Amino acid sequence: MNIPMMEAAFNSRSIRDLVEPGRVHRRVYSDPAIFELEMERLFGRAWLFVGHASQVPKPGDFVTTELGREPVIFTRHRDGSLQVLLNRCAHRGPKVLNERCGQRKQFTCLYHGWTYDTDGSLLAVPVPEGCGTEFDKRKHGLAHAPRVGEYRGFVFASLAQSGPSFDEHIAPIRANIDDLVDRAPAGEIAFDAGMHRYIYRGNWKLQVENVLDSYHVPFSHASTVSREGVQFSRREGDATGAKVVEGSRTAADWTRRKSYTVGRGHGWTSNTALDDSKRSSAVWNEYKLVLAERVGSERAEQILTPRLHNTLVYPNVSIMGLNIHVRVIKPLAVDMTEVTIFPVRLVGAPPEMNFRNIRLLNVTHAAASFVQSDDLEAFARAQAGLASRGTDWVDISRGLGAEESDAEHGGLRALATHEMAVRAQYAAWRDYMCEV
Amino acid sequence: MNMPLPHEATQIGREAAEQFLIHEARLLDERRFRDWMALFTEDGIYWVPAAHDQQSPFNQASLFYDDRDLMKTRIDRLEHPLIHVQTPPSRTVHLVSNVTVAPPDSDVGEFAVSSNVVMIEYRLERQRLFAGRQTHRLRYQESMWRIAHKRVDLVNCDSAFEAMAVPI
Repeated sequence: MNIPMMEAAFNSRSIRDLVEPGRVHRRVYSDPAIFELEMERLFGRAWLFVGHASQVPKPGDFVTTELGREPVIFTRHRDGSLQVLLNRCAHRGPKVLNERCGQRKQFTCLYHGWTYDTDGSLLAVPVPEGCGTEFDKRKHGLAHAPRVGEYRGFVFASLAQSGPSFDEHIAPIRANIDDLVDRAPAGEIAFDAGMHRYIYRGNWKLQVENVLDSYHVPFSHASTVSREGVQFSRREGDATGAKVVEGSRTAADWTRRKSYTVGRGHGWTSNTALDDSKRSSAVWNEYKLVLAERVGSERAEQILTPRLHNTLVYPNVSIMGLNIHVRVIKPLAVDMTEVTIFPVRLVGAPPEMNFRNIRLLNVTHAAASFVQSDDLEAFARAQAGLASRGTDWVDISRGLGAEESDAEHGGLRALATHEMAVRAQYAAWRDYMCEV
Repeated sequence: MNMPLPHEATQIGREAAEQFLIHEARLLDERRFRDWMALFTEDGIYWVPAAHDQQSPFNQASLFYDDRDLMKTRIDRLEHPLIHVQTPPSRTVHLVSNVTVAPPDSDVGEFAVSSNVVMIEYRLERQRLFAGRQTHRLRYQESMWRIAHKRVDLVNCDSAFEAMAVPI
């Protein structure tokens, strides 16, 4: 794709026209040129979730990933600082680290042996007499992501030198991160329980929209709902899951759930309609005791009163409060997306509690799970259907105009079966995409 | 186990083990999932790790880690008319080879049978390949060999998969 042609094809006006108040043009899902522009203007600018500090506990620990099109190394330097380096040798360009994770004292490029420190600075060049007299090692380190921010172990980076600060980006959603992390008796969580990885033949936004979509559940996940309209249990201590269907209709409790948006594309849905007074099991009760011993029973009660179902930190990470996990969305192509789901270990919780959480996540979010696999089918079918030119528009108008202002969170509130959250994502999308 | 084991429970030859695995593979290929589940002991486990050399299902994510209760929920769903990821359903062929039987574990009367497995899955104009090493722990119970534990180590266990619905 040559850039001048893209610029000719898209000016801010033509991008803006793809998003209307209650509908978006199908090209946002299907046009490869739009995808290229997203990689540049959205993934090339936004604060993106990189990883969790617990993935690199010791100096030299590293994880490799991609931020949009940019291969990066997430690592910890000797001084304990977290580093987000571009995974590209400053000499001739090979990826310096090739494994998904590992441990190194230094990072050495396979090709000509250029060796970098864990903060990216160039330590040594073989046969240095070949370098010109003006060669300055300080100018040939691994490039850094221009901006890095961290909140309670959640590490984000922006590939743009300037733009809204990390604080501006994360402030509206900090309490949602707290909601998860505070559940750990030690007040910290760890991503050290492996991961689920899946891909689907569909646009990345299909997954992002889905995490705050409460409308689809009785239909997409019909095969997980019993004849009585109840889903299987997804939390330790629950005998059954939520009632999502009554007779032939979506259950009333389910339709009363709320969704919230707080700007910048962020949002969340409120907790699933479950009776928490009935939540009890030996493992759950022990965990509650351990938490109460650490933070006091009143605070423990507060922490364990479910407030959140799923939270989206736009554009690439979501945090689930029901069966806890963190999900990272990575666009590969206009019609191909990879998703990684990290089980969350609550540090200080009884091992059995963490095991139950890991086990329930296998059932709901593995590639072979009961829940996620039907979502993946929905995403692939949406992508296939959107090839149709029968109509150019995708309807996202449910509840348009019925949003209420929500003073408590400084945003808007609506029913979770409405599509306010999707509209909020497209408002943010349009802002990123139209800013030249 | 303190009771003496009946004679037939104390030995299984390579050929008998192979026949058992072929029978199991056929049940899966014919989508006779309830009959497949019945091959497992009451405390039977079906495990497909999501990491290479995974040591434990308890502290790491797995693709499958089903006891009999979860197997039943999984199969109820596989038989549900609205399982979208099986509309249309997958067709599979399993190949089982390189079967070896480890010496019996005299304490529990279980035999570890190791084999290689390839599953070819066809659905919606696309064919996928799953390959790995599988280990069955077989226990003689109620006049037949049953699976006390089945572990499948896929060569690409830590890869990003498109949705999977049927057991391997």
